[in-house]
Amino acid sequence: MSAHSPAAPRFGRALEHDSVLHRRNPTVKLLVLLAVSSVLLVPVDIATPSLVGLALVPAAVAAGRLPMRTLVTTCAAFAPFACSLLAVNAVTREGEVVAQVAGLEVTRTGLVVGASLAVRTLVVGALAVVFTTTTDGPRLMTSLHQHARLPARVTYAILAGYRVLEGLPDAWTTIRRAQAVRDPTRRRGAPLPRDPASLGRAAFALLVGALRQGERLATTLQLRGLGSGPRTVHRPVRLGPADAVLVLVTLGVCALVVAATSRAGWLLTWSTLG
Amino acid sequence: MIDTTHLSVAYPGRAPVVRDLTLHVDAGERLLLLGPSGSGKSTLLRLLAGVVPQLVDADVTGQALVAGHDATTTEPAALARHVGTLTQNPADQLCLPTVEEEVAFPLENRAWPPERISPAVERALARVGAAHLRHRRTAELSGGEGQRVALAATLVADPGLLLLDEPTALLDPAAARTVGRLLAPAGGAQVLVEHRLDEHLDLPGRTGVLDEDGRLVADGPTREVLHDQAGLLSALGVRLPGAPPTLRRTPRPAATGSVLRVRGLGVRRGGRDVLTGVDLDVRPGRVTAVVGLNGSGKSTLLLALAGLLPHEGTVDGGSVGLVFQQPEQQFLARTASDEVAWGPRRAKVPDAERVAREALASVHLTPLADADPFRLSGGQQRRLSVAAAAVCGHDVLLADEPTFGQDGRTGAALAALLRSLADEGHGVVVVTHDLTLVADLVDDLVVLGHGRVLAQGPAADLLSPAHDGPLHAAGLVAPGARAGQPS
Repeated sequence: MSAHSPAAPRFGRALEHDSVLHRRNPTVKLLVLLAVSSVLLVPVDIATPSLVGLALVPAAVAAGRLPMRTLVTTCAAFAPFACSLLAVNAVTREGEVVAQVAGLEVTRTGLVVGASLAVRTLVVGALAVVFTTTTDGPRLMTSLHQHARLPARVTYAILAGYRVLEGLPDAWTTIRRAQAVRDPTRRRGAPLPRDPASLGRAAFALLVGALRQGERLATTLQLRGLGSGPRTVHRPVRLGPADAVLVLVTLGVCALVVAATSRAGWLLTWSTLG
Repeated sequence: MIDTTHLSVAYPGRAPVVRDLTLHVDAGERLLLLGPSGSGKSTLLRLLAGVVPQLVDADVTGQALVAGHDATTTEPAALARHVGTLTQNPADQLCLPTVEEEVAFPLENRAWPPERISPAVERALARVGAAHLRHRRTAELSGGEGQRVALAATLVADPGLLLLDEPTALLDPAAARTVGRLLAPAGGAQVLVEHRLDEHLDLPGRTGVLDEDGRLVADGPTREVLHDQAGLLSALGVRLPGAPPTLRRTPRPAATGSVLRVRGLGVRRGGRDVLTGVDLDVRPGRVTAVVGLNGSGKSTLLLALAGLLPHEGTVDGGSVGLVFQQPEQQFLARTASDEVAWGPRRAKVPDAERVAREALASVHLTPLADADPFRLSGGQQRRLSVAAAAVCGHDVLLADEPTFGQDGRTGAALAALLRSLADEGHGVVVVTHDLTLVADLVDDLVVLGHGRVLAQGPAADLLSPAHDGPLHAAGLVAPGARAGQPS
């Protein structure tokens, strides 16, 4: 069907296989993701986000039939941010000093908060990866229009913008070559220039091209009748009982974990932080 | 369907592009609009669609009624209930990720019941021979496929008026013939602006001619206008349909030696062979044209010759300049004169400014020397980009579609510029779909098909009726048509 490897995620497109999560309503999935990440804003202990992650991430990966390799490679993108959260918090929080590193004081509170935030980043990152790899961008837009009452002008403008974005990598390569060959002193096969001025000029041409195409697409949207009155949706996105189950299970797991860690006395929040 | 009375349109701070136009087009009537570039043809179509002056600012006087609605005040989206628009570039007209969504979109906007949309999408795609594309992604369509899908999206709601702004301009000859053939039976009143008339089997029965000031100077049955006004059209630089390209009378003597020697050139991109085993000699003093359908590897060949792509085989010779297909992607400066002076300054040519001035004059751009390159019209940008590459003094100049978007006069100016480069002893290679340019300008011809050289040799030989084989084989000439005539 496609020359691309089925496990290679592409911007704005769900992986090509089918799964329980592929079939769920995109708006519901987005709201669940936002809800889980909001819940995880509260605790700053290590246990709560870890337990939420241990419960939800494997379940989500299984429900989305996400190849482990895809999960690991895409989550690796969040790892540097997670590490930096740990490092910065470890040396900037007040508390009992447990070590000295390069003249900086590492505190116990700092380590706990940093590790908690790092785990939270990885958990939310993994869930976001599952969301994007099981959700088709255009279906999300249709669903946001249908179920979240986002105006069609907004959702179709986003879709047209997506068309522009899809073309940017090719346009960038072409512009870099087109501008490089303007230099009469250039040697055959020489690498493309990488000085800031050259890159700046290429970025300018890319930006102008993208804006112009965006303008023309916006005109086309109107010439096809967008905004002329009430509209229908050709292939509506379904919202069903299974979507309610997804909400209940996910939020239920979060509630149970918070209740358990609170009962066990592990739960720390920003306000209970010493 | 269309009723304009004393209509004039001027963009802010500029002279009017349409003047005192009174035009009546009946329901179901088809009108061909001819005129040089800048004569206001596209502006008129954009006005009839409601784009000018509502989305693009302009001063409009007089009246323009489309299907009984004032086109200058009725929102384009509302006018779209009666009007369908098709322009030249599929990239500007395909807004949604998949073909099916694209064609269903106009019906959704007209609030059709969902159960009626699917069969209508199927019918519209079938009408343009694109039923098999229904589940494809729009980003992955070829130019010809994209234009057919855009036409399906234009026709799906059966608009009473079709505005067609050079719908085949960007297509290769085979795709242009396919799209051209679909327009006449599309139905409704039509206004067609088109330079490539030979690709339309069935021209509209009525033709209007706009002069360079945007005045309607002729209007009548197509046969009469093309016959009776042939002198006027030729003076305006409008190319007549049906006139087969004729070869230049003075073939250049075959030059010896080569400025670029290519042996066994092969390029692989995305896991497939785009070019295989290309041998080519670019000779000084001669213009070589590379022709072939889209996807035959023409543009890749230019990139490889310019040393911008890794390749197998050898390319030996002097310095190479390359004019890309889209001028905007190549601009580096903020004024037209700086743009042309860029190369000479970089090469530390003494008197770069004078060189730039002369080059601008040779492509009729002197009045725009201080204009921002990005703000020029498409045709002006094309001339600027060719001039900017021509002044660099490369041993070989490569140009991808150098005459795109030009009318007869400016096209001839570009051809003359390329010819003069060759006459100075440079090698010139053009990639083009324009067989008239080939016949007028070109000494040697290379016919590409599926990444291989199908034929090469003196253009006079390959264009003669006796040797039409390669052009037919490459799909460049319609079966039964003749590529050129002996002089």
